[in-house]
Amino acid sequence: MAIVDKSYERVTVNLVVNGKDYTVDVAPFKTLQDVLREDLNLLGTKVGCEDGNCGVCTVLMDNLAVKSCCVLAPQAEGHKITTIEGLEKEDGLHPLQQSFIDYFALQCGYCTPGMILSAKALLMEKPDATEDDIREALHGNMCRCTGYKKIVEAIEAVRDGEYKDSCGEV
Amino acid sequence: MTRFIGKYVGQNQKRIDAYEKVTGRALYATDVAVQTRDAVHMHALVSPYAHAKITKLDLSKAEKAPGVVGIITGEEPGIDWESFPKDAIMAQNNEVIWAGQIVALVAAETLEQAKDAIELIDIEYEVLPHVLYYWDTIKPDPVSVVDPMWGKRDVVTDRPMDEIDERVSPNVVGAYKLDTGNVDEAMKTADIIIEKEFYTGKKTASQMETPLCTCIYEPNGKIILSSNGMGVHGVVKMGLSKMLGIKENMLRVVSPHNGGSFGSRLAPIMEVLCIMMARKIKRTVIYRLTREQQFTTAPSNWPGISKIKMGAKKDGTIVALDWYVAEECGAAINNSYFTGRMCASGANMCYDFGEARIDSCAVTTNTVPAAEYRGLGVPESEFAIECVISEIADQLGIDQLDMRLKNLLRKGDKNCVGEAITSTGLEDCLKSVYQSVKVDEPSIQDGSVWKRGKGIASAGKQNTPLGRSEATVLWNSDATVTLLLSNDENGMGATTALKQIAAEVLKMPIENIEVIRADTDATPYDNYGASSRTTYTTGNAVRIAAMDCIQKLRDEVGRAIGVHPINVEIEGTKAIVHGYQVPEIEIDTLFKPINFFEQGNFGLMKGTPVRGHGVYCPAPVLQWGADGRCARQWNWYQYSACAAEVEVNEETGEVRVIKFASAADTGNPINPKLVEGQIEGGVHMAIGFSIMEDHFYDKNGMIANRNLGDYRIPTIMEMPKNENVASIICPDALPDGPFGAKGMAESITVPVAPAIAEAVYNAVGIRVDSYPMTAEKVLKLIKEKKEAAN
Repeated sequence: MAIVDKSYERVTVNLVVNGKDYTVDVAPFKTLQDVLREDLNLLGTKVGCEDGNCGVCTVLMDNLAVKSCCVLAPQAEGHKITTIEGLEKEDGLHPLQQSFIDYFALQCGYCTPGMILSAKALLMEKPDATEDDIREALHGNMCRCTGYKKIVEAIEAVRDGEYKDSCGEV
Repeated sequence: MTRFIGKYVGQNQKRIDAYEKVTGRALYATDVAVQTRDAVHMHALVSPYAHAKITKLDLSKAEKAPGVVGIITGEEPGIDWESFPKDAIMAQNNEVIWAGQIVALVAAETLEQAKDAIELIDIEYEVLPHVLYYWDTIKPDPVSVVDPMWGKRDVVTDRPMDEIDERVSPNVVGAYKLDTGNVDEAMKTADIIIEKEFYTGKKTASQMETPLCTCIYEPNGKIILSSNGMGVHGVVKMGLSKMLGIKENMLRVVSPHNGGSFGSRLAPIMEVLCIMMARKIKRTVIYRLTREQQFTTAPSNWPGISKIKMGAKKDGTIVALDWYVAEECGAAINNSYFTGRMCASGANMCYDFGEARIDSCAVTTNTVPAAEYRGLGVPESEFAIECVISEIADQLGIDQLDMRLKNLLRKGDKNCVGEAITSTGLEDCLKSVYQSVKVDEPSIQDGSVWKRGKGIASAGKQNTPLGRSEATVLWNSDATVTLLLSNDENGMGATTALKQIAAEVLKMPIENIEVIRADTDATPYDNYGASSRTTYTTGNAVRIAAMDCIQKLRDEVGRAIGVHPINVEIEGTKAIVHGYQVPEIEIDTLFKPINFFEQGNFGLMKGTPVRGHGVYCPAPVLQWGADGRCARQWNWYQYSACAAEVEVNEETGEVRVIKFASAADTGNPINPKLVEGQIEGGVHMAIGFSIMEDHFYDKNGMIANRNLGDYRIPTIMEMPKNENVASIICPDALPDGPFGAKGMAESITVPVAPAIAEAVYNAVGIRVDSYPMTAEKVLKLIKEKKEAAN
């Protein structure tokens, strides 16, 4: 349980982000999105609508895709969060990151972090996801630029193992 | 000119911004704001009423609220509101003219404090009647006269045939008329005449990043502005210098990564309001529109109303077009003298109408002001023309493709305006999408309530010349190149294409080139990214800058080794010298090294690049005559065609696009994959226009669906599956484009709605006369059809 200090109307929240332990002292109504951006300076998690519709703030919470604008910071207590910054390794990009580049799966790029994380959650759960599964998994991630075709191609390339040797597993 | 495929141009180079975007390292305006220290946050109080008198406005409690540092209202002294973008004018003379108009701006130490202070503003309104739609506003005696210029409307230049006293309503604010002279006579020779009325919805660009501006106030009063607005030089810096009287050396505008614009960020609304506050309180200010305010306060598009009468011969030859088109420009006079001329341009360059009469106007309403948005009036007006052409073809029993090919303008033809068509790939576009979707074969029906049908349409969009672009090439002393540009990069990939052009002309390995973009203190002038002009205008500037750089390198190399430059050729990093003892020299070896003891400073010196500069400015358009015609109304035309297969649920009216092909005449594509991305994204966006997006109002005239939950933009579910999406490039090289390229992103959206409308007709036999083709609208028409049959 998060510890609530009523005199300051602050809560102390412990969370693990991209493998690192953090403790933040925040207002109880602060969202995970704001904690990541403002307290941890992880600006790859974007801000789009702040009401759970657009999906640009998608992060992984215990490997499930969640919209961080709809998660209050205290709800993230003790959970494992993965943001887009957590995907790149020392020896190179995550396969989805590389395939998004190679397949031209982005334009303005504002939805890209959320899109990649939703795709990652899907492929971890269903490594052989079909196109229908991909569509279902991404239907909460709005993109106004690309028309999604190249995004689907990029995800399918990773699913089909095109990046296994160069970038490793999902 | 044949299609150019070079080492870099015509190749699928990876996007230069892809790495930072997939890793989350790309900083957007919204991220720059978070990193800005010691900033105050500004938030707006907006009107909840479409039209009202402000009877009380007491700021005293708000001014004393915790954290508040400044409040601005429309009464702010020393501000020349007339010079502002019309959508940025705060409520004047205690009157609000649309729901969402800004009444007060509050700056406070935190955003929460600013919002809390807004709650403390004591404001009362006396609600006045409003007009929200064309039909109400066009009346000679409308219940609301929308006057965004407070009685000074004659500041808007009237063009020929648009005398104020001839206007049917005080809400008409601009007009354009064209008449080739014999429409009535020609109409009499027609075997078939179709006369119909069409209208389209009001939509919001809804890019993923909402408008935001960070205005850093330096100790000496200099402003450093970082925003997701377009046109760092042409729009923001020049505009704000003029509006607020800021010296040009005291305003630096930079453009970080941009989360989309689609034209909607062309007016520097955020920027002017943010700077106004920063200068008042002498503090750094951050101003962001919430998603809700993007609907209510940032510009929307222009809905279009068309009344069309078109006559054709039995063989499908169109003989006459009589076209009335009106555009709702909301509570602002914005580009209104272009309206009509602009929207009619979409059809004019596609077809030979025989005789044509176009009577167009712009009307004001008490709704959020309309401004630039992908296609600028053409997707709205062209819908009507294409629907009528489809209907004529169906009534005459002529194939949809044959009907269009019969009336198409070919290269060298003159359109009804009197302009010559210099480049068109429309015929190939039409044929390729027709074949791809097999429009000639009827859809296979599965016997369910979902009925299928196919349709096809074509379209174009003009390019307005819109001033100059410049580019600077710095050829560094270690054989690398720095390319300085100020183009807008809203995601379309233009910067990648521009780098490809530079690499091609310089014959330089593309990895040796680094682009520095959009910093008005460092990068050269560019007007702004609009009218699909960047690849063409900035692309030409890059080409010229690279050629200029090569010429200077020849001079410098010749001087360094003592031969005439005519003997020197530049091949990337090498100089080829004819008749010299060393025929090939690595140019970087000629730059003289620099150390503490080195004397002299002339010639090629380490650390000092050879500099090439390019300026490109297409010739301006000509003013038209009393008949509305002229030989150069626009610069060039981009074309596209779309064929779509849809399924319509007979019981619910729901429309789904299940297959489409879209083809674009891009001129020679610089980067085909980027073009494909624009095609797919353009059609996807237009599926939204066609079946989903519209503003709805509550009883106060406030947009009721002002969030992405109620104003649905298409997601992946509205896109057909990948195997049913075909993006095709059918280039016809543009003679004066860089490597024959022209812009293309706007034309894509235009034919989508009419292709869907024809497909809906073929599926369930109803003709929709408006978009979005929502389930309610389609179901109503299906019911009416059934009732009529009974």
